[in-house]
Amino acid sequence: MAIQRESSTSKMKEMTENIPPECAIGSQVTDQDLSTKRRVRDSIFCSEEDNSLYFTYSGKPNVLELRELNYQVNVASQIPWYENLAELKMPWTWNKGPDSHVSAIQNLNFKVHSGQMLAIIGSSACGKPSLLDVITCRDHGGKVTSGQILINGKPTTHQLVKKCIAHVRQDDRLLPNLTVKETLLFVAKLRLPKTFSDSQREKRVEDVIAELRLRQCANTRVGNQYIRGVSGGERRRVSIGVQLLWNPGILIFDEPTSGLDSFTAHNLVITLSRLARGNRLVLLSVHQPRSDIFQLFDLVLLMTSGTTIYSGIARDMVQYFTEMGYPCPKYSNPADFYVDLTSIDRRNKEKELESEKRARSLATLFWEKVKDFDDFLWKSNAEDCVMSVCSEQSSLLTSEEVINMHSYSTDQLPGGLKQFTLLLRRQVSNDFRDLSMLLIHGSEALLMSLLIGFLYYGHEKSKLSIQDTIALLFMIDALIPFTVLLDVIAKCHSERAMLYHDLEDGMYSVSSYFFAKILGELPEHCAFVIIYGIPIYWLANLNPEPEHFLLNFLAVWLVVFCARAMALWMATLLPTLQLSAFFANVLYTVFFLSGGFMISLENLWTVPFWISKVSFVRWSFEGLMQIQFTDLTYQMTLGNITLQIPGKLVTQAMNLDSYPLYAIYLILIGIGIGFMLLYYLSLRFIKQKSNQDW
Amino acid sequence: MSETYSSKPTEMKRSSWGSEAEERKSVVTPHNSVSVRGISYAVRQRVGPWWDIPTYHKKCTRQILNDVSFHIESGQIMAILGNSGSGKTTLLDAISGRLRYKGNFFGDVYVNGHELKKEQFQDCFSYVLQNDTLLGYLTIQESLTYTALLALQKHSSDFIRKKVDAVMAELSLSHIATNVIGNHVFMGISGGERRRVSIAAQLLQDPKVMLLDEPTTGLDCMTANQIVLLLSELARKDRIVIITIHQPRSELFRLFDKIAIMSFGELIFCGNPSEMISFFSDCNYDCPEQSNPFDFFVDLTSVDTRNKERELETYRRVHVIASAYKNSEIFCKTLEAIERTKCMKDQPAIPFKSKDSPSAVSKLWILLRRITRNFFRDKIGIIMRLSQNLLFGLFVAFFLLRLKNDLLQGAVQDRVGLIYQCISASPYTGMLNAVALFPPLRAVSDHESKDGLYQKWQMLLAYILHFLPFSIISSAIFSSFIYWTVGMNPDVSRFGCFFAVVLVPHIIGELLTLVLLGLVQNPNVINSGVMLLNVAGVLVGSGLVRSTEDMPTPFKFLSYLTFQKYSSEVLIVNEFYGLNFTCGGSNVSTVVDASCVFPQGIQFIEVTFPGATSRFTTDFLILYAFLPALVILAIVSFKIRDILIVRQ
Repeated sequence: MAIQRESSTSKMKEMTENIPPECAIGSQVTDQDLSTKRRVRDSIFCSEEDNSLYFTYSGKPNVLELRELNYQVNVASQIPWYENLAELKMPWTWNKGPDSHVSAIQNLNFKVHSGQMLAIIGSSACGKPSLLDVITCRDHGGKVTSGQILINGKPTTHQLVKKCIAHVRQDDRLLPNLTVKETLLFVAKLRLPKTFSDSQREKRVEDVIAELRLRQCANTRVGNQYIRGVSGGERRRVSIGVQLLWNPGILIFDEPTSGLDSFTAHNLVITLSRLARGNRLVLLSVHQPRSDIFQLFDLVLLMTSGTTIYSGIARDMVQYFTEMGYPCPKYSNPADFYVDLTSIDRRNKEKELESEKRARSLATLFWEKVKDFDDFLWKSNAEDCVMSVCSEQSSLLTSEEVINMHSYSTDQLPGGLKQFTLLLRRQVSNDFRDLSMLLIHGSEALLMSLLIGFLYYGHEKSKLSIQDTIALLFMIDALIPFTVLLDVIAKCHSERAMLYHDLEDGMYSVSSYFFAKILGELPEHCAFVIIYGIPIYWLANLNPEPEHFLLNFLAVWLVVFCARAMALWMATLLPTLQLSAFFANVLYTVFFLSGGFMISLENLWTVPFWISKVSFVRWSFEGLMQIQFTDLTYQMTLGNITLQIPGKLVTQAMNLDSYPLYAIYLILIGIGIGFMLLYYLSLRFIKQKSNQDW
Repeated sequence: MSETYSSKPTEMKRSSWGSEAEERKSVVTPHNSVSVRGISYAVRQRVGPWWDIPTYHKKCTRQILNDVSFHIESGQIMAILGNSGSGKTTLLDAISGRLRYKGNFFGDVYVNGHELKKEQFQDCFSYVLQNDTLLGYLTIQESLTYTALLALQKHSSDFIRKKVDAVMAELSLSHIATNVIGNHVFMGISGGERRRVSIAAQLLQDPKVMLLDEPTTGLDCMTANQIVLLLSELARKDRIVIITIHQPRSELFRLFDKIAIMSFGELIFCGNPSEMISFFSDCNYDCPEQSNPFDFFVDLTSVDTRNKERELETYRRVHVIASAYKNSEIFCKTLEAIERTKCMKDQPAIPFKSKDSPSAVSKLWILLRRITRNFFRDKIGIIMRLSQNLLFGLFVAFFLLRLKNDLLQGAVQDRVGLIYQCISASPYTGMLNAVALFPPLRAVSDHESKDGLYQKWQMLLAYILHFLPFSIISSAIFSSFIYWTVGMNPDVSRFGCFFAVVLVPHIIGELLTLVLLGLVQNPNVINSGVMLLNVAGVLVGSGLVRSTEDMPTPFKFLSYLTFQKYSSEVLIVNEFYGLNFTCGGSNVSTVVDASCVFPQGIQFIEVTFPGATSRFTTDFLILYAFLPALVILAIVSFKIRDILIVRQ
């Protein structure tokens, strides 16, 4: 720890020594003054434990290299298909728009090693997001036209990226009803290698919580726009924590400081630079670095509209631009000043042309300067700077080997079964805590049940007629899925963003999620069916034998389950909640109409008749009918003649006796499994990008 | 240290500015001032989440504002700094009288020495919220013109055009006046421009006091600077501007006339920039040369909660600085200034915003025009509104193909099923429309009604008026398609009747959703709620699944409250009256079959809906009476919303 402290102060000293004369003229203060001031600063920002390294990366050092990278973005292809359709564009015209290919990055070169932190700065639309996309192999409709991206000399692939790069994104994607600590603990259990004991995992979580200053809200739930939880800044820190936990070799941060207050932002960047010192490679894009944050950067890449204006040691940047004839004025933040200098001013035509010209000339000048270097980074006096960085690193490495004991390898991640149980636990505890949703769903079931039950109240003298019993049975299994569909789809869409990113990160496999989701829904599903099924059965006074009741219950259970599986499928198949809800409803209406009650089966023409074969409503209706009618004899009075009608005749008349009861259950199970299979395939092959309309 | 900071040229410029402004003021307007004395505010909240019962039952009081006082005069701009959770936004809310619970609020706000009455707050302060709520499909000019019309309609249209042009020029929006604003679906103007439109909307009313909550958040550094510069220029034109700000850049340091730093609800310091540097210097905290004074001082006064020791240490430091400020000369001067304005002999009047708001009817008319113009550019919305009913119709027609007259081939059953679908599906599509399209408008109305431009229910009523034609067209397409395709009773007047009845459930579905949208924030909940109501209504009311005669008595009464009862009765009579059926091609009377009990439509009506034929007109009228009733209910629910959401 002592070494740590020393090195950081020595670094600070270097920084002040390198302040270019232009910037330092105003200060008529001696070195002594400076050091006392620094003590004040230190006492504000750093406490002792701040400098300890809780966990370091100890795999092979990584090298990230970009060689003459040119990258084009196809703007048109980034618009989702349903928006194109809504604009009344036909599929064959989608990719043919003029200037749809925009060059996002031109001739970018750099080479970064483990232990370095590269900050990409520039005003908006300078190509930062595209660069991060291309490095993480998430090029949505973009194309690398020339050049290479190498990690440790190997061209990047999805697998390689998944193994060694963690990408912290700007949007927060967390389950709203888990507490901060639970969220992190869940990730710790999933993403830390098997060799970790439970207490070690908990220790890691505690460390990350302390690091990100989340201690005061560790037991508060995360929340979202409808559920009160932690504040926005805290939520962002939780999502950074999610990636920190995993402790990968290369960390990429997309605007990590946006939305954080200045104090926290500073501490966060200190954390990031400490992570870099722990032998990691840290890459971050920053919109507006404050002066104190800028001082913490090792390397800086300044870009404007895809071209490199400067890349090299951060503290040499001022010197470089001074040599170019753009000295930094007094009392201003060099980062702000040079970003403004090089950004394209689009307020009017002349300014735009002028600033574009300036940016282009600066870019060519810079390329002239660095094209002969091995790592394409500008240094003030080439040799000794590299030396100092290297020696600093090696000294750090030796000191850290004492602290660091864990070996990290992706091969030892928890297996599928473990992932499944963890996901299941997470889902169940998240769902259970959503009190308002539980109450809404519960009252939905109860209301429907009481409504139908009292409507067909069958005790004492008002014994139900045949017609009424048929109608009742159909209502029992055909109405409740309407509400279930909407509930399930709304929930799926709210979780979509998180699912998308988790799967992209390779946090867990599609199959574990699939099984956890299906199984995790079961408790709620069972409770729902119990609340719904039992009161109806009793109120309507249906066949009171226990086995009849159980068979009836099972049929209702299955029909609701099929509806659930269908809703899951529709929610993953279609991109927006509106579309999913509408088409799920249409599809269900199709099944509803072919159910054999609204239109009798024999009157259906060929196509609907075949549809009725896969309609779970029809099968469960057939099942319920057979359970009720097969063994009973009904009395019917026509005028003054009383007819004895055996129940079988009723099912026969409605064409509902074609299959035996057990076959009907098997068919229902089959339909449920079919929908689940479709759900699985959609999960697997359709990207679950979120598009919450409201 | 402070000397090195004062760069001469700006100082010179400022002083000349000041004198100029003063000259003008002494001639034209009296000096306005806002003073705040001893504001404290606390909320009570539960400690833990609901599943953790012991802590859930505990309640704790959180002090959000603690004895805050300051004084600001016209021509000045004040920045309130502080970390998240330090009470910046609450302070603005307190000044502008928008706090949620007034019970725990103590202290006074004076404008020119007057204490404001409750309803005067709205007319005195203009408040720009952090998130811009704008209608996405309007151009900047249209958007501002409609706001101006709502606020100052009594003036001539010429005056309003000039006013809008002047404001756009002031905020340099003129060159993009005809650009569409945009929303999350399609790109429009940039974030900085959106923010300027929000500010412009407030400027239309010539406010003398402007409050802005985080006007620079979410903007890039250059745009943020431009916004703050712009605001300071606005302040120089004899206004009072108070902003909360997050990470201002060092160049802005000299720009503010007053800088306030908040930490944990306390005002740690409030004074001009040079006072600030010397004050902290006196406390032995010199701002280092190379760093941003804003950042340095904010960091100095924030509490580090990473562990107990640090927390105590930093908290003590903050406390020392705060008490040093309370004892300083700057604070004494502030208190004196407050007292002086209070005891002034001829206190200038309260500077209200110019407001000549039109009558309720013309407000409604302006809102209607605004919503309609906005909606006409929303292609997705229009397609959705017009086609959803038809899509449902297509599926139903696909199943039925053509209605038959043979009872053995389901003549009665098919017709009942069709009517069932018409009644139960069209409220659903209405609900989908409202849930997708109304929430953005609701957000705008929440915001603008707080500014006093109009009431929430007026926006609601305008929305209802604007969707009526679309509902009529959509239902007309649907009914003419389904009616003639499946071959219902081929009589033009009966078709007209069918259309008139099918239209009502579609509109009712949307109205019912609006009623709930007034009370519930989350659209997903409303989705389920309306769905449930719809299903229940069909079950109890329609009499298609269970004839009303056989129902238990409470349900019989309930059924009178459902619109489904009336619509299904009318539709059944409309379809079955005068219809003759066949039974398997042979004579009806000879075959004794369960399906052949109704050889004539009239018999079916008499059995299932006894007396429905005679109630035809009454049913029709009652059905239409549901529409005004629901509109009134929706207005009531938005009145309740006024109470529910004092501050979002």
